[in-house]
Amino acid sequence: MRSKRAVAAAGLAAVTALVVAACGGGGGTTASGGGVYGDCKTDPNTCNSVAADQLQQGGQVTIASEKNIDNWNVISSEGNTDWTAYAMKPLMPYVFYTAPDLKSTLNTDVMDSAELTNPTTVTYKIKQAATWDDGTPVSADDFIFNWKTQAPAYCPDCETAGNGGFDQIANVVGSDGGKTVTLTLSKPYTDWQSFFGSAAPLYPAHIAAQQGDLSTPAGLKAGFDYFSKTVPNYTAGPFKVENWQDNVALTLVPNPKWYGATKPKLDRLVVRVITDATQEPIALQNNEVQVLFPQPQVDIVQQLASIPNVSQNQAQGLSWEHYDFNLVNPFLKDKALRQALFTAVNRQDVIAKTVGQFNPDIKPLDNHMFVPEQEGYQDNIASTGQGTGDIEKAKQILTTAGYTGVGTALVAPNGQAVPPLRIKYTTGNAVRQNECELFAGYAKQLGVTVEVSTTDSLGTTLGSGDYDVIVFGWIMSPFPFGGAQQLWLSTSASNYGKYVNPQVDQLINDAASSSDRAAATQQLNQADKIMSDDAYVLPLYQKPTLVATQNTIGNIRNNASLDGPTYNTAEWGIRSGS
Amino acid sequence: MLAFALRRVLVSIPVLLVASFIVFALGAASANPLAPLLEKNPPAPPNVIAAETVRLHLDQPLIPRYFSWLGGLILHGDFGPSVTSTMDIGAELGPRFLVTIRLIALAMVIALVLAIVVGVLTAVKQYSKTDYIATFLGFLFLAMPSFWLAILLKQGGIAVNGAVGYPAIYTIGSASVPPPTGFGANLADILGHMILPTIALALISYASWSRFTRASMLEVLNSDYVRLARSKGLSRRTVMVKHALRTALIPLTTVTALDIASIIGGAVVTEFVFQWKGLGDFFLNAVRSNDTYATSSWLLVSAVVVIAFNLIADLLYGVLDPRIRHA
Amino acid sequence: MPEHTVTSPETREPGTPVTSGVDREFTVAERSQTQLVLRRFLQHRAAVISLGVLIAVILLAYVGGMLWKYGAGEITPDNSQPPSWDHPFGTDAVGKDEFAQVLRGTRISLQVSVSVAILATLVGTLWGSVAGYFGGWVDSLMMRITDLVLTLPLIAVAAMLAHNFGGTWYLIAAVIAGLYWAYVSRVARGVVLSLREKEFVEAAKALGATDTRIILRHLVPNALGSILVNLTILVALAILLETSLSFLGFGVQAPDTSLGLLVSEAQTALTTRPWLFYFPGLFIIIIALTINFIGDGLRDAFDPQQTKVRQ
Repeated sequence: MRSKRAVAAAGLAAVTALVVAACGGGGGTTASGGGVYGDCKTDPNTCNSVAADQLQQGGQVTIASEKNIDNWNVISSEGNTDWTAYAMKPLMPYVFYTAPDLKSTLNTDVMDSAELTNPTTVTYKIKQAATWDDGTPVSADDFIFNWKTQAPAYCPDCETAGNGGFDQIANVVGSDGGKTVTLTLSKPYTDWQSFFGSAAPLYPAHIAAQQGDLSTPAGLKAGFDYFSKTVPNYTAGPFKVENWQDNVALTLVPNPKWYGATKPKLDRLVVRVITDATQEPIALQNNEVQVLFPQPQVDIVQQLASIPNVSQNQAQGLSWEHYDFNLVNPFLKDKALRQALFTAVNRQDVIAKTVGQFNPDIKPLDNHMFVPEQEGYQDNIASTGQGTGDIEKAKQILTTAGYTGVGTALVAPNGQAVPPLRIKYTTGNAVRQNECELFAGYAKQLGVTVEVSTTDSLGTTLGSGDYDVIVFGWIMSPFPFGGAQQLWLSTSASNYGKYVNPQVDQLINDAASSSDRAAATQQLNQADKIMSDDAYVLPLYQKPTLVATQNTIGNIRNNASLDGPTYNTAEWGIRSGS
Repeated sequence: MLAFALRRVLVSIPVLLVASFIVFALGAASANPLAPLLEKNPPAPPNVIAAETVRLHLDQPLIPRYFSWLGGLILHGDFGPSVTSTMDIGAELGPRFLVTIRLIALAMVIALVLAIVVGVLTAVKQYSKTDYIATFLGFLFLAMPSFWLAILLKQGGIAVNGAVGYPAIYTIGSASVPPPTGFGANLADILGHMILPTIALALISYASWSRFTRASMLEVLNSDYVRLARSKGLSRRTVMVKHALRTALIPLTTVTALDIASIIGGAVVTEFVFQWKGLGDFFLNAVRSNDTYATSSWLLVSAVVVIAFNLIADLLYGVLDPRIRHA
Repeated sequence: MPEHTVTSPETREPGTPVTSGVDREFTVAERSQTQLVLRRFLQHRAAVISLGVLIAVILLAYVGGMLWKYGAGEITPDNSQPPSWDHPFGTDAVGKDEFAQVLRGTRISLQVSVSVAILATLVGTLWGSVAGYFGGWVDSLMMRITDLVLTLPLIAVAAMLAHNFGGTWYLIAAVIAGLYWAYVSRVARGVVLSLREKEFVEAAKALGATDTRIILRHLVPNALGSILVNLTILVALAILLETSLSFLGFGVQAPDTSLGLLVSEAQTALTTRPWLFYFPGLFIIIIALTINFIGDGLRDAFDPQQTKVRQ
């Protein structure tokens, strides 16, 4: 029996060794935008810049993608995913894109100009040199085809992701051999720059025409579906597809017919599918990939910080996190209760215990319509006292409104006890779990019980209204006016909590169909003030995006808009001498 | 022998047929392929849902649906429609099968060789230091979650790379993209990608198989006929190899074959951690997207593998132990 | 220790015909065997130490969890702290005390695995005993069904079912048990096959006992040794399976927690906040390791031939 004792002893020893090892480790530096990204805070558009003559000719860069590409048509509802859009960016022509500073910028490789010549007319001038790689020019035909597939009147069966404004286009005509395009609107559309932009790029009409007669809905649909199913065998961008291995990688090589000013330096650009984000930093450390664009998370940020010769940068973008009330709940119909609950929320504390741990720059967001990087941003929320965590003020709101049992067990003015509220978040999202638990903590101080639970399908829960409070994020397009119409109108499909205020509807609709941007901005802020006072949605913070790269790679920078880091792949390259 | 083999193959066919029904029913019962469409917001138009219902044959009851699936499979090699309209399940399964079988086969070989060597060694040197250490390690591997070990292995791999000064070991995928040119470089690349996942997968099976080998070896070594052989003056070595080892290995073939299902399951986890795009990855995607034809097809493929392995084990058993053939 | 004296006077139902001779003989024999088993188990030091450690872990999880100053899920002001006297296992990103979390995870993981073991053992033992006892086509049919269940990779089927039904611990347990019973039934059948021909079964048959009675009162209790050994191994297997399922995202879901979920949430923390990765992993290993040793001890105790071998 000597044996068994020895074994057990050895076991204990091993276990102890592991514990000691576990205690010994730790630490880790705090993350900051150091390394090659030192100047990104001040110069988001030019940081990590390396002049072309400082880059070596050739080499391969692999970027990790968190998703497989199932559908190649980014305009379609199925193909409208972030990583498909990033992977397609080096192939597609588009009019405007969003630069890292979140400004809408003309794509001068493809376009000479794009201007609003009068409130209802947009004139596009396409570069003479702009062609598809089979020699067909990029022309008005492409504009017409892409307009029609996105306009329900022409192609009712094309399932688009719903890019706003296309139903307001009255006509698109070409002239000057197809290199000038004139777009006529039925009424002014403030966000006209979103048409044929990087989020809804131009697919080649001449290839669609091989699939069917583009003057019929069926032909348009055939072309639209062809682009969904077919790995791009066309390009009008700096790269073209060399190979696609489903679920593994998209391999791109320079497009020999590329007409743009900057010729790609790389021999090869690989988009590698790594669906488990937690494995990405290890792969970067092992130099199996050179560029990451993961959802930032405290461990990933710290892990990246500990890898030598790797830099990372976080930028605050167009998506933002928020608490929403469901106004269908009879108790939450009362504005006073909503205001009190939002006042009790301490956003600084929420940030400190979630995203603030890996990004010290994050501040509460004080506007529903604009983010600070956009023109028009102003504080419409903190001034109301919401999100400050001022419990006394919150209690006072309730007492004034006639509530009793404030701070113990809240009873509404009509004598009914406020029942437990359900707050929900998406299964597996640790940050949102924390946000829900914190919300429950704040509400408890007012005497309201909040139960935390999860949902597998955020869409279903939102659509069915099976919640009292919910936390999730909106991803905004850089075009605030059309965006506001999609989110806040009482008739909007995305107005899940059933907020109704005719005054707000009026202001938002006026702002969206305006030819005076300054006036529109003012109207939108006016709507926002009313909405903030109504305490329907409490914005928490702008969500940061994170880019990490080997220091040897130049010209890769964070782009926190929907365009992502691949907006400038032609400039990417490996520093000379590395 | 041939008649025996033929009989075993024939017996497998009805088993396979019943298995195909079970996996189909299991797949169909486990998820609603239309759920993502129904849960969409804004809701998908009714004509889209109706079209999907017809495309996925959901307008038919289970039994006819099963028979049309089986018919398509046998007659045209068609594994049925996937919820992702652009995907051909059969075309996906082929290359993925090769990726996974490479992982499983190598892991099994390594595990078996290690298990036999260690099992025999510890049985012969029972209660020696080697025995204690091997026994404890065996128990430890049995108690360790495989992914936990895999995550630690990755750190080890990076440390090795740092020590040798160039990337010899990879942590992601089954090959570089694009693969390096030249036979030698290509082979090194493939091996560099295989090493960590193979170890992770092999260690668990190794642990239980070495325990098993040790036990059956001990039993044989203490049996009367081995004692008789020794007393007849046969050398220790002859007795070990010719009599003891052979007898002890017979039950191991059965155990190995029985474990194949759990190794395939283990490969799902291993592929996930190492991001191999094999059958395991296919399966996880299928489950997550409620792709019932894909999950059923995957289960069927793994059932075929399991049944095939059991068949091979049966035949091997026949070779190793002549009594079986005549039973 | 399990009572093996099924036919002893104390447990006999009133009204059963007294068949003294045979019964008494067995009663005596069985009694002493129970003691023998116990004595042999106590001689297995690794198993005894393991039993002690396991009991300590269980007490820690249930009693310690109640006494510990932080509740599971309670948010403390310290976040991402390394282990200290105040937080022996450190804290996570929101400031939850990892020690309290691990104890809660241990409770859930143990609940899952013990429920699996019991459920699967009950079903599997009955299934296997019935098949083994009746033999013939009943046996063939029942065991073919078992074989079919065994051809399916368990973790895959569990993931499939849990994806649709899962989330809470008892559903996860039900799903896992719904697959593990097949393993148990094979073992039970093997034992019953060998027992079926034994004299005391013949005797009971001759005395006119019904099949149900023979299976439940004679065969199952006598197969208890092997079944008990398997039950312990099942607990260890189930805890690992639950862990893997949670890791793949098909197991217990937050805000609930389990050891597997804790480890999988801490995957990226390995180099940055290692306490979040190692402590739950360590508990999994300790539990699985001790249970395996206990199972080993039980096997030796019930099946003395294995240990006698050397002499």
